[in-house]
Amino acid sequence: MKSGEPGALVTTLEKALTWGRSNSIWPLTMGLACCAIEMMGTQASQLDISRFGSEIFRNSPRQSDLMIVAGTVTKKMAPRLKRLYDEMPFPKYVIAMGVCVIQGGPYVHGYSVVLGVDRVVPVDVYVPGCPPTPEALTYGIMTLQKKIRGETDR
Amino acid sequence: MTADDSGQPNRGKDGRTIFNVDRDKLLEFMKGMKEKGYDHLSLITGVDRKDFIEVVYHLHAVERNEYVVVKTTTNNGVVPSVTSLWSSAKWEEREQYDLMGIKFEGHENLKRIFLPESWVGHPLRKDYDLGNVQYINMDSDGEDYATFDEGDGW
Repeated sequence: MKSGEPGALVTTLEKALTWGRSNSIWPLTMGLACCAIEMMGTQASQLDISRFGSEIFRNSPRQSDLMIVAGTVTKKMAPRLKRLYDEMPFPKYVIAMGVCVIQGGPYVHGYSVVLGVDRVVPVDVYVPGCPPTPEALTYGIMTLQKKIRGETDR
Repeated sequence: MTADDSGQPNRGKDGRTIFNVDRDKLLEFMKGMKEKGYDHLSLITGVDRKDFIEVVYHLHAVERNEYVVVKTTTNNGVVPSVTSLWSSAKWEEREQYDLMGIKFEGHENLKRIFLPESWVGHPLRKDYDLGNVQYINMDSDGEDYATFDEGDGW
């Protein structure tokens, strides 16, 4: 392999596109409850998801590719969440972070909580935990990157 | 547990002073407490005791750093409003009206603060039927409305 001759990098357009796409996922600031603290920890210097291309949290849905739904989705918030999701440009992805977002969590018998954000928007990756550790969310983002690149998570 | 309107305070489990005040004398008593230096109304809560409703006021004297609790009871869910003494009671009383169905006589704008106006019932009451699930959706004007139709809201 180390012949010293200049080689050629051969790839398909599809692969190049998904590689670029998976390494530039900008998340939308969607911290709804306590999971948002762990999401901030994921973004902060120690774990730093910008190593994986998720540079900065955007405050506008027009500039973001990924919605990390971090925290309990109440019935009152659900129409707003749907509206923000609709305002995001394609291709767009959703990570459901924490058990409240996945199926209602400790509020499953309550009157005010949506039993799973997948009733509102389609979800790509579920990150369980109450709250999930920043490492778990980082793993969730890496899993999403693999999904975008079309790899299986093995 | 009933209110004795002797005006003598009890001690709570945590050592906090508790006054049990008759509903008719509440406003007068609260005016006296404000003059004694309890200038901060930190919390209003409601307790559904099935036969009657208890309304609990947590008062704080900021300069002396003293907390006291004032309790009153009502059979028909009506208590006098203390908004004339503490303006912060406006939202606190609206919250209690929204979730507990306590009506505060003399409140200038007593309507729901969290739930949509069309929500049926007060969810923190013991007789609220959790099996009859309600959903929230937003109309084209951005106004929330509650519905029993699962297909309409979340």
